[in-house]
Amino acid sequence: MAMIEVSHLTKRYRDRIAVDDLSFSVAKGEILGFLGPNGAGKTTTMRVLTGFLPASSGLVKVAGHDVFEEPLAVKRQIGYLPETPPLYPEMSVRGYLRFVATLRGVPRGQLAAELDRVGHATGTTEVMGRVIQNLSKGYRQRVGIAQALLGSPAVLILDEPTEGLDPIQRAEVRQLIRGLAGQHTVILSTHILPEVVMTCEKVLILHQGRLVAFDTLAALGKAEGSAESLEETFLRLTRAA
Amino acid sequence: MRNTLAIAKKELSIYFTTPWAYVVFTAMLAISSFFFVALLQDFRQAHALARAYGWERLGPDYGAFKNLTDGVVVNLWNTIAVITLFVAPFLTMRLFAEERRNRTLELLLTLPVRPREIVLGKFLGGVGISSAALGVTIIYPITLALFGASESGQALEWSTVLLGYAGLLLWGATCISIGMFVSALTQSQMLAAILTFAVALVWWLLQGVVVSAEEPWRSIGTHLAFSAELSPLLRGVLDLKSVVFFLSVILFALLLTDRAVEAQRWT
Repeated sequence: MAMIEVSHLTKRYRDRIAVDDLSFSVAKGEILGFLGPNGAGKTTTMRVLTGFLPASSGLVKVAGHDVFEEPLAVKRQIGYLPETPPLYPEMSVRGYLRFVATLRGVPRGQLAAELDRVGHATGTTEVMGRVIQNLSKGYRQRVGIAQALLGSPAVLILDEPTEGLDPIQRAEVRQLIRGLAGQHTVILSTHILPEVVMTCEKVLILHQGRLVAFDTLAALGKAEGSAESLEETFLRLTRAA
Repeated sequence: MRNTLAIAKKELSIYFTTPWAYVVFTAMLAISSFFFVALLQDFRQAHALARAYGWERLGPDYGAFKNLTDGVVVNLWNTIAVITLFVAPFLTMRLFAEERRNRTLELLLTLPVRPREIVLGKFLGGVGISSAALGVTIIYPITLALFGASESGQALEWSTVLLGYAGLLLWGATCISIGMFVSALTQSQMLAAILTFAVALVWWLLQGVVVSAEEPWRSIGTHLAFSAELSPLLRGVLDLKSVVFFLSVILFALLLTDRAVEAQRWT
């Protein structure tokens, strides 16, 4: 069953077309890598998927619910890490995560356990008591990921989750995301290609708002006959179009 | 309901963990105590004059100074209402503008929360902080009750004082609702504060603005002016019309804010 279904999605900002007739679907439990040069429309697509921005035309369904018609039903299914981690600098990490968990509908009695769980998964347990504005960039990013995991949403949409992390943390986050496969459906945007190779099964490449490739990693490499690396595919596709 | 309360609690906790709340409380107390002392001086002066010449010869202007309730507290409530007008924009400017600037609005709007729950939660948080700022001014009537005296037993008519105080809280809530709406329109806190202040001040002074206008504008302006609607309440007159007026302004501002937040989903 397709968890996320996007058909003929177009998003215009006044006269600029950010996403142009994009169609794809993601099956339950799949991890999809969202690739593309800066300004290709990755963030815009994710914002439409989460219901933050409306589509100019086209249809987006998450878990069978239309994003525009049933926003609440869709939002209950989605954990979202935007491009900039949405943090309140004045709050403590624990206070912030409790706030988000409450709004996600985590019952009061399970708040502490849920915070423990995501704290452990993202390595933020030791900074729970600290005020967010005093955290390093890496920790902020991790708190942002922790926030998306609260309430175990069926779909995770992560916009450049490893941004600002050091290599060790990157590896940890990759590990974490790989561990989510199966139970969660994940869309992961990044411009770090090796990361996609290590975490994703399927890849979608966007260029100037248009879909230029959408396939499994293995199939993409073989498409050109010879065994091509993802980097070569990426460069060829985003240069040609 | 749980979502609304969670948002209200978050707003309040941010007010109290930043210097905001304390700066506003201090400003409120400092400015109002200045006026309180000035009013006490006037009161004493009026009584000294009355002892020398008798109340009859002082004229009607001095009538209010016969007792502490009308001479000091009601005048003080009027002054505090004006101070609220200046203070409220600083409390409301961050409500939505900061969320936009910080990109946390993206979080709020992608969580399973209805826009109206966000709006109501933020409004409740704002009313909480404005009521707390006004709450510190209750020490003035308490001081008067402890140290004041009057010919007819109690120093203050508490029913008048408390009704005026309730009017003040309602006025605070009105300022918050207007400020919240303006804040939902922009991502600049400075702009939100200035615009809120401009709207509230003109609305407050509307009576003076339309004084030379023709009918029916004059009547309309006079009846819509904040100052005209608030003054009976502060005098301790339970004027249902004024209460309904302020509640309608609040409701209207909340609806507009809800639309402004919801509009995000359409553009």
